[in-house]
Amino acid sequence: MSYLDAPRLHFSGWFQADVSTINNDVRFYQNASFVPEYQQLDQNGSWNPEGTGIFRLLDCSVTGGFLNGRQLASPSDDPVVGMTVQNAADRAPGKLVDLDPQQQMVSQIWGMQVRVTDAANHTLLRGEYRPAAFINLWQRQKQGVRRDQQLAACYQSVLEDVAWPDSSGSGLLQALQAATEGGMLSIEFNVYGYGRDSTIPRYTMGHIAGTIGPYRHGQPKHFVRGRQMIAVAPNFTQPNGGVNNLQARWSDDGLSLTADFGNTFPILDANSPLMNIGRVVLGVMTSDPDSVPATVDNTQVLVIGEVPYLTDGWYTQTAGVQTFDLTNNPVARQLLARCPLVLMSPVEGANGYTVLLQESIHGVYVRADSYVFRIDPGETRQVEFYATRFGAPLADAVVNCSATTGLMGGSGGGDTVSPTPRPTAPIPTIGTPADAIGYASTFTMDGNGYAALAIAASAAGPGMPRGYLAGQLYGIAYQLAAQPAGYVSNPLNYVSILAFSKKDIPDHPTWYADIQQLFTQYGNLYPIMGRYVVNLGDYASVVTRTNILGLAFSLPPGDPNHMPVTRDLGAGDRATILKWLGTKGPDGLPYLGTPSQSPAVTPPAAADALAADSLAKLLPSQGAGKTAVILQLERRRKIAPAADGGEAK
Amino acid sequence: MIKLDRQIITAIRAAKTGPDLYVHLRNAVKLEHSTIPPYLTAMFSLKPGANQAIARQIHSIVVEEMLHMTIASNILIAIGGDPEINTRGFVPDYPGPLPMGIAGGLTVGIEAFSIGLVENVFMKIEEPEDPIPVRPPSLLAAEPEPEYATIGEFYDAIKEQIEKLGPSIFVNKSAPPQVVTGWFPSEKLFPITDPPGACRAIDIVKLEGEGTSSTPFQSPGDPAHYYKFGQIAAGREVIATPTGFAYDGSAVLFDPSGVWPLRPNCKIADFAVGTQARTRIARFAYSYASLLNALHDTFNGQPGRLEAAIGLMYDLRVTAVSLMQTDSGDGSGQTVGPSFEYVNVPTR
Repeated sequence: MSYLDAPRLHFSGWFQADVSTINNDVRFYQNASFVPEYQQLDQNGSWNPEGTGIFRLLDCSVTGGFLNGRQLASPSDDPVVGMTVQNAADRAPGKLVDLDPQQQMVSQIWGMQVRVTDAANHTLLRGEYRPAAFINLWQRQKQGVRRDQQLAACYQSVLEDVAWPDSSGSGLLQALQAATEGGMLSIEFNVYGYGRDSTIPRYTMGHIAGTIGPYRHGQPKHFVRGRQMIAVAPNFTQPNGGVNNLQARWSDDGLSLTADFGNTFPILDANSPLMNIGRVVLGVMTSDPDSVPATVDNTQVLVIGEVPYLTDGWYTQTAGVQTFDLTNNPVARQLLARCPLVLMSPVEGANGYTVLLQESIHGVYVRADSYVFRIDPGETRQVEFYATRFGAPLADAVVNCSATTGLMGGSGGGDTVSPTPRPTAPIPTIGTPADAIGYASTFTMDGNGYAALAIAASAAGPGMPRGYLAGQLYGIAYQLAAQPAGYVSNPLNYVSILAFSKKDIPDHPTWYADIQQLFTQYGNLYPIMGRYVVNLGDYASVVTRTNILGLAFSLPPGDPNHMPVTRDLGAGDRATILKWLGTKGPDGLPYLGTPSQSPAVTPPAAADALAADSLAKLLPSQGAGKTAVILQLERRRKIAPAADGGEAK
Repeated sequence: MIKLDRQIITAIRAAKTGPDLYVHLRNAVKLEHSTIPPYLTAMFSLKPGANQAIARQIHSIVVEEMLHMTIASNILIAIGGDPEINTRGFVPDYPGPLPMGIAGGLTVGIEAFSIGLVENVFMKIEEPEDPIPVRPPSLLAAEPEPEYATIGEFYDAIKEQIEKLGPSIFVNKSAPPQVVTGWFPSEKLFPITDPPGACRAIDIVKLEGEGTSSTPFQSPGDPAHYYKFGQIAAGREVIATPTGFAYDGSAVLFDPSGVWPLRPNCKIADFAVGTQARTRIARFAYSYASLLNALHDTFNGQPGRLEAAIGLMYDLRVTAVSLMQTDSGDGSGQTVGPSFEYVNVPTR
């Protein structure tokens, strides 16, 4: 079960993502060439240099629900409709962070609590959001004001440690509570219409619409083991059919099909309703073809239902989740077991349809549940995989893995940096040395279509292959060994790994030998800290805040106040920092050491020439970060199509 | 003329049991807290890189006010009471009077730093019963001794009554439920177990705020709050001279351009829904309310929640940054100041 089952509640409103933007360009990680100008607003497309990393819900409310086969849309349907959805009110808000400046396509939410509260602000439902990265990124918004982030995406995860202080007044909440297993609920939401222009009210804010439903033990936490419809998109942000990926679930009793259109339909402007793209119907093919048809006629498809996306209030009340009743459609029930779903647009005056989106060929699909990992030298982590065929477990399937750069690498900035870095800051190559990460090149699913792939980081770690930036990025592509020809894959389905560099904890850490480089880098990249709390590049300032720094560096990564906010510090460096903070010299302060102890910063082992050649000119209207990353990817593919990543070859 | 409400002193002296003192110690917690929003706002309004010496001095005062709030809470807990921090009435309605009419007639607001604010408000809040005469810079004239009741007198009454009621009123002698943490030195923050301990703790509160009757310093080189604000107002540090204390030490420079021009006493409702100003001031207030919620938990049996409270203090600091750079939208050129409205956010 998941948020695509009943009971479920829907919410919508706004979110704030107050991300910092200097770290969008890897070149700013080189301390030697960093200048204060890089911290100015709008310099080099840096649209929020004083960002705090905060991610939070704003003005969100329960806008609908689904219970006992009935859509709930108003407080008279159930009193929970209209109640507030908000974050914790007794601790700091959650944080949104990239994995790395060279992997900005898996931004994760950390440390967020979600609550449903009544008019008297009493909590009825509370849960901890398990950190998750977005998926299904696409250019949902067709036009925008200066710097608008026209890309949209969705997040799926679970709420853990769910508590129900008082659900007595709401039938929907009571049903949800009764359906809760292991203290977990499934949660999905779509984010879009995000503003990056500091002069507009939407600055650092966007729209959010989502769903909370039951979670069942043994199910994936970050996608639904159901029907996966992946858009054909040679340019992955602009699917050919004009609509984006969706997932659906055919109920266990076979009597209904629920599909999530929450991130499927385009919008014109940031605040526009769903764009009218004509009638859209969901159907199931009457056969299981070997390829994706561009059009189908009445004999090839059975219509399941029309998607009411243009109905007033539909998107707000449902977050795009629509249940189709199959009680009176026995043919569809037969076909769904063995034929793919299609999302279609009727062709005027003909007995046929244009196919906008189709279920994967032969219904086969494999996915890593969590696909973002931070790993220390010597550590082994398990990547959980689920394989399905038309939503049912695909037993004994063989999966092949290989190294990929995916959507990683490059700089996240434009073709020029002002002022020009002196010395030059080369863009590091990622994925090297390859042997810092080990995993099986092939593995087999069990009888339930499940497997865990071990990723082992070498005891030595990757070293410092990126020179001025610790750690290294690795990508793992995966696909079914028996993947049909012409298969349409999701380019975001690969595993991203940040392998931390090894750092032996010195007996006597000093500022110059062990701390200065790291702290200076954080101070450069996150001026909100350096300007207002503690100047991290300055020993004299740092030693006045040893207690609070000791606390922040000791908090677990799931704590919203964990430092660094970017969660990109290896265990060795962390332990060294804590030891340094906690060891006082004769003057009562952590050891300073001497400048001669400062470690030499070497250039990256390999500069990525292709990435450098792919840097795009950023228009004044464009921001550094994801926009620049995508511009670079497009150029990279033009220059060297073979270097394209994202899928196992 | 600044007056403490005499009825409060009378009521304290009439207390016959420990529980009779609860209301007064709750008021003490409220009072110690009530100075933090105005001080914090003044400190936050100082731009980075400017006025740092002043910012450091105010910061040290704010930290000590937090200690005082903790001490008052611990005494209350020690005699069996519960601090009430997560209520609407806990936070003064700024601009307005402080709890119990302390510094009576004095309206305390939420404003950007200015010398006038320090002189006319902050120094009045911290004014000792008998201030040590400190000469203005290079002048010999001494201030006349004022003759009015103060926070010190309130605490003296509490002390006297605790001593009178004796050790039997101390029922929660350990931490937890008292809050004793490594964030403050153990000689200043310790479990309150008996009347002498309570009196010693109250003396710390008085000393840090007012100094002693013979010196403006609470410890060598560290003036009490009143004199710390005095040296900010005078522009020079207080020093001992052969002819008495004088604000004739090192310069405490103030750069008026290094202050965000906050509109005083901003409230959430002053700003239109959908504007940056509204969103930001509402988030600040939300964080502040969250901080009070976390502190309430901390002082009501969950001392581990202090870490979350400290995290929220950091959150407030960084949330204030964008807030104070946001135009207030009224054409005045002023920016948005923080709101310490307790937006009603119960945690359960």
